Amino acid sequence: MNALRDIRRRLVAAVVPIAVCVGALAWAGRGNETDAGASDASKAAEHFDKHVAPLLASRCLECHNPNEFKGKLDLSAKGAAMRGGENGAVIAPGDPDESLLWQYVEADEMPPKKPLADAEKEILRKWIAAGAAWGTDPIDRFAYTSDARAGYDWWSLQPVRRPVLPDAKSADVRGAIDRFVAVKREERGLVGSREAERRVLIRRLTFDLLGLPPSPDDVQAFAADASPDAYERLVDRLLSSPHFGERWGRFWLDVVRFGESDGYEYDKLRPNAWPYRDWVIAALNEDLPYDEFVAQQIAGDVLRPGDPHGTVAVGFLVAGPHDGLKPAGEVMLKIMRQDELEDVVGVIGQTFLGLTVHCARCHDHKFDPIRQVDYYRLTSAVAGYSHGEREMPAAASAAAVDALIAAAERRIRELEEPARRRILARRGADDDKGDEPLAALRPLAAWDFARGLDDLVGNADGEASGSAAITDRALRLDGKSGFVATAPLERDIREKTLVAVVTLDNLQQQGGAAISIQRVGGGAFDAIVFAERDLGRWMAGSEGFARTKPFNGPEETDASLRPVQMAIVYRVDGTIAAYRDGKPYGEAYHGGPLQTFPAGKTQLLFGLRHSPAGGNRLLAGAVHRAALFDRALSAEEIAALARDASAIVSSDEILAQLSPDERRLHRDLNDEVAALEKQRSKLKKQAVYTCVPQPGGVAHVLVRGNPQQLGQVAAAGGLSTLRGVDADFGLAPDAPEGERRSKLARWITDRNNPLFARVMANRLWHYHFGRGLVDTPNDFGFSGSRPTHPELLDYLAAEFVRGGFALKQLHRSLVSSATYRQASTVADDAPKADSENRWLWRKSPMRLEAEVVRDAMLAAAGELNAAMGGPGFHDFRAYVHRTTQFYEPLDVSGPDVQRRTVYRTWARGGRNPFLDTLDCPDPSTTTPKRSVTTTPLQAMAMWNNAFVLRMAEKLAARVAREAGDEPEEQLDRIYALVLSRPATDDEREVLGDFVEENGLAALCRVLLNSNEFMYVD
Amino acid sequence: MSTSEFSTERAIDRRDFFSWAQYGLGGAALATLLVRDGFAEDAAASAQRGPKIPGEADDPPPHHSAKAKRAIHICLCGGLSHIDSFDYKPALAKDHGQKLGGDERPDVFFGQVGLIRKNDWEFAQHGKSGLWVSALFPHIAKMADELTVIRSMVAESSSHTPATFQENSGFRFNGFPAAGAWLSYGLGNDTDELPAYVVLPDTRGLPAGGTVNWTNGFLPARHQGVMFNTQGPAVRDLIPSREIGPSVERASRDLLVRLNARHLAERGGSDALSARIESYGLAAKMQLAVPRVTHLDDETAATQESYGLHRDETRDFGRNCLLARRLLEQGVRFVQLFSGGAFGSPRINWDGHEDVVQNHTQEAARIDQPVAALLADLRQRGLLDDTLVLFTTEFGRTPFTQSAADVVGKGRDHNQYGFSVWLAGAGLKPGVAYGATDDIGWKAVDKPVPWHDFHATVLHLLGIDHTRLTYYHNGIRRRLTNVHGHVVSEILS
Repeated sequence: MNALRDIRRRLVAAVVPIAVCVGALAWAGRGNETDAGASDASKAAEHFDKHVAPLLASRCLECHNPNEFKGKLDLSAKGAAMRGGENGAVIAPGDPDESLLWQYVEADEMPPKKPLADAEKEILRKWIAAGAAWGTDPIDRFAYTSDARAGYDWWSLQPVRRPVLPDAKSADVRGAIDRFVAVKREERGLVGSREAERRVLIRRLTFDLLGLPPSPDDVQAFAADASPDAYERLVDRLLSSPHFGERWGRFWLDVVRFGESDGYEYDKLRPNAWPYRDWVIAALNEDLPYDEFVAQQIAGDVLRPGDPHGTVAVGFLVAGPHDGLKPAGEVMLKIMRQDELEDVVGVIGQTFLGLTVHCARCHDHKFDPIRQVDYYRLTSAVAGYSHGEREMPAAASAAAVDALIAAAERRIRELEEPARRRILARRGADDDKGDEPLAALRPLAAWDFARGLDDLVGNADGEASGSAAITDRALRLDGKSGFVATAPLERDIREKTLVAVVTLDNLQQQGGAAISIQRVGGGAFDAIVFAERDLGRWMAGSEGFARTKPFNGPEETDASLRPVQMAIVYRVDGTIAAYRDGKPYGEAYHGGPLQTFPAGKTQLLFGLRHSPAGGNRLLAGAVHRAALFDRALSAEEIAALARDASAIVSSDEILAQLSPDERRLHRDLNDEVAALEKQRSKLKKQAVYTCVPQPGGVAHVLVRGNPQQLGQVAAAGGLSTLRGVDADFGLAPDAPEGERRSKLARWITDRNNPLFARVMANRLWHYHFGRGLVDTPNDFGFSGSRPTHPELLDYLAAEFVRGGFALKQLHRSLVSSATYRQASTVADDAPKADSENRWLWRKSPMRLEAEVVRDAMLAAAGELNAAMGGPGFHDFRAYVHRTTQFYEPLDVSGPDVQRRTVYRTWARGGRNPFLDTLDCPDPSTTTPKRSVTTTPLQAMAMWNNAFVLRMAEKLAARVAREAGDEPEEQLDRIYALVLSRPATDDEREVLGDFVEENGLAALCRVLLNSNEFMYVD
Repeated sequence: MSTSEFSTERAIDRRDFFSWAQYGLGGAALATLLVRDGFAEDAAASAQRGPKIPGEADDPPPHHSAKAKRAIHICLCGGLSHIDSFDYKPALAKDHGQKLGGDERPDVFFGQVGLIRKNDWEFAQHGKSGLWVSALFPHIAKMADELTVIRSMVAESSSHTPATFQENSGFRFNGFPAAGAWLSYGLGNDTDELPAYVVLPDTRGLPAGGTVNWTNGFLPARHQGVMFNTQGPAVRDLIPSREIGPSVERASRDLLVRLNARHLAERGGSDALSARIESYGLAAKMQLAVPRVTHLDDETAATQESYGLHRDETRDFGRNCLLARRLLEQGVRFVQLFSGGAFGSPRINWDGHEDVVQNHTQEAARIDQPVAALLADLRQRGLLDDTLVLFTTEFGRTPFTQSAADVVGKGRDHNQYGFSVWLAGAGLKPGVAYGATDDIGWKAVDKPVPWHDFHATVLHLLGIDHTRLTYYHNGIRRRLTNVHGHVVSEILS
């Protein structure tokens, strides 16, 4: 059964590209005559592919496919179609009237809801009459877009092509964007609006880019700046403000449904989730390229091992709700895990690809060409994700130190590399294996016992104990008292690879280690141990078996006869993998959190599992060579090491190759690294709520989404439906989970992925203009909207890719366009035809978002605390009532809570009612587009809420302080702070009376409630 | 740009016209603008149209003639034992102390499967219909002829919060709109003075998950359930948080109207801006209406007594039931009452893990009389003819106890496979029971009803085809019933 399924899968896989090509050809070359030399049979097949298959695919196969199988009829494959359904054969080749298929179709009984048009019927009738010749088999029902679903030819799945810039007649054209917009407008007889006034522009730009009002001084200066590039300079200044990241980071947090509590029954607070929020803000401020921004969020911990930023970034994976209450029942548990995977695959699909991949959990996607198996390939790619906390050095300072260490090490490598190559070339003059991978192998420490006990690379020299001695160019160990211990290592060891070439005296011994890394004096250790648990088998020893599981490798048969090379790799995600003679030994497994071995307190042992010597901990045999790498070697590197043991070059050999100056530099750099390492280990630790990877296991397609019904195995992979990127990750179904996520990250961010750039370009457009070119920013599939300006979208996407995914450049091009700079006011003779402004004949006014309302009030009142980052503030009282965490909204003031709203702690059960009334989204669900509603509750909140009234009073006090007692001065100041403009004469007159009667605070309250404040023109 | 709007006599001299609570709008010019933008219309047009605040579904209900115009939902948190209340299982007495038969090992929440325990309350047939109701609910039993019991409910989860989310939103997850939000979205509201969806939590505390239970999810914010507080102002921000003199308040409102009117005029009118102006008027109306509707002293002493307001154990829930009726009378679309708060010990909800007798006795005493009084009151006022009453719990409890394998314990674990709920009122066959669990009440075996079917039926009674009440969110036209749901037509009259 499985074999059959596999064959079919291979068939389908083989057919897909062909079908796609056929579809594309049929589309591109419609009407072209075919090769005159083709035989009748191939002509018939071509006719089938071109006319009949699309019809069957779009009108019949939705129900009559191998999965749905209605009436036990499958029309997608030749054999099945000819066999027929529960009522017998449905096609009588050559005789439509005898064909059930035709009878049903002719009688309008099939398809049931919407019968075929006459022309379509005729295609079917003629095809049967002509002998019902089949073409490409089976038909790929996803090949064609129909009126019911999208196929591979769907617009958003096609490669991005940079369009030719159109010629526009309009005068109001500054750049490419405006040309695309103007042409569409002209087609509809619409005219763009004039450029908005300076004061309007600076208010618009500042709110848009920073989420804050411009300061009165900035408004003044800009209004008075006559230079032609005043606007461009303003844009640059705003883009480089640190508030930019706070503003745009908030939008990103909406999309990834970032919340700081678990949700569900316990709704436990996550006090250490904020580093992810800070990472997002910093990344946007630093203009981290979007592909890198995304790759790190999917697999930063794997792609940048040792870099705390990478580990913080994968907080993306666990930003959503998580039910911490697990039932005892296994069935329910499995369902819950599948629910979690659906959530994360759903967010990945919508955020980065604009596709609702998660709709294919129980069946093939109903509207988009996404197979169920594709969904499960994606679940396999993220199968190791899990919620938790990791301890790490305080992110920012550690990253700075890491960057310095990395730079010093790079320079050391640059010094050493030519020397190493020369040495290797001399050693293996006849060596044709290619030394590329070998040259890169730079162990932290290495020992060749033919040459003695000293570390060939660093200073971890060995010292023999008991009977241990070098005999016959190897370290002889008697299994009773002999072992070697090294001097302490000079740096922290996290990820690592242990390697030893070892011979055993006998295969019956149990418990000795070839090489071990341990805390000096005992305690934690990781070691290559022989047969401590399973007779004759190698294992990864650890204290109390903390990280030990069987590899289930083959029983050792050779090590008593010849040296074997054993290597064990400890990856950052906790995966432990063994290799024997360069080949994988048994199965890798997840050993729990990686053990860190601190500098100065860690040593290596040869022949002893861990201190003290004695018991079954000693090895009887010989160790020939050994090495420690401070990273996880790849399978290829280990294989290379096994092929050529001479790949390791001692530091003495290298130093001998260097000039005196180079040697001095080399020493200085090494001293620098050592000093930095010491500094780094002293940084205090910070717990971070993030993805704590677990072993991925092997994913299966789940029949109808039921975890009790396993279908075919699904190795990690991408969506086969995307053009231009290979969905095959080349991974085994049980590949280490970190590799799966890093491949996924690379696949998603591939510059040829057509959706990746389009979706983000559209998101930015959506936020700047209030409506995306595609009005459904999370859905570029069949159920989503079609682009209003497809060429413009492709132009933006192409430029985005070409510019190396630089986000700020994309922002700059959007807000610099004439389209963006248009006035928003509607003239009396304005067109009624496009009241929604889909064709951009003006700038749509936009209501301030909830956070911006709050921030702007704080800013106007002079109460905003501009401190960035760190743990969020609480505007609620968090308390545990019985077992559940509750959040009671509080009205609190003071500098801490008067930070920007993005720094609020976004507990899922602890929403802020004031912000809620202003459409602040529920952090439980991804929000690509905020709604803008107007309700009496909102009006009540704006009018009566304690925060608003307090801000009105603070603002009044500020104005009294800054503008003195003169009513006119006061009015001007209030208007400048709240509305970014001076009051008009008639306003002064009326408002002066009002203030006299009711006080300044009353006026401030009114202005903070006014439409002019709440809307940006 | 015209500044004349601002300084003309229309805006300044006719100050009477700015009486906020009366009009909510400022000035004739503004009123005209609003009419032009479709935000104000005269009373006659409004009466003809239907609800005061229309829904906003793009395929607006009614999709067929509605039996019910409004609904009240009594939501029992923690899991009511159906076999001790509405699902009579004589076999339990026979099998008391026995092991569960068959090979299947129950997949229960806490993993402990004890021996079978008989029902702890005696059952009797009640009313003309002869419906079986246990002595746990003596008052509700008297209303047996009004009830339509479904004895074959099934849930997708045996964990409280996912199960409660599903009971309310159709989905087991955070982030989906509650049924009340869907109704507000689909049907709008029959009053513009009160919210369409009002929530009255248990006075002892919010249910687990808190306000998430009445979230609007991805629907626009105005459809979120509005919690009425039991202390202080019933609705948040109903009145200014600090003392503001009446004349200042009035002058401020006038000024806001005038500034907004001028701003609107300068921009050639706009739906969004007009709506925002209008919302302040509606807020003012709500400010008056909320204290009125929550003033229970208006009710006669007899009514108050019937709801149990005079007794300590029934007072809290009685007040909520009475308030619910008053809200419905004013045109509120959906009122949701919670019986039970969060989980943990001591129990303040129906989660009788340790001792069902103790726990259910305590909880039933709080709600039995008020619920029965509500039914009787609605009937007597004729409201039950077009009001739907729902009485549900997230799942039932197991017929075997939560204890060691050879012990008859006192508590029962969660049972998602079979449990009971009831409905009453408009469009239902009264005094009947639908579906059945197996002999011991463990699993629904006859006509199982998943929550999707329950919701489809509720929507149907309210004139809504559950497949047509949809909202586009992230690639999917979302429904309360996901892609499932069948109307249980056998319980319809």
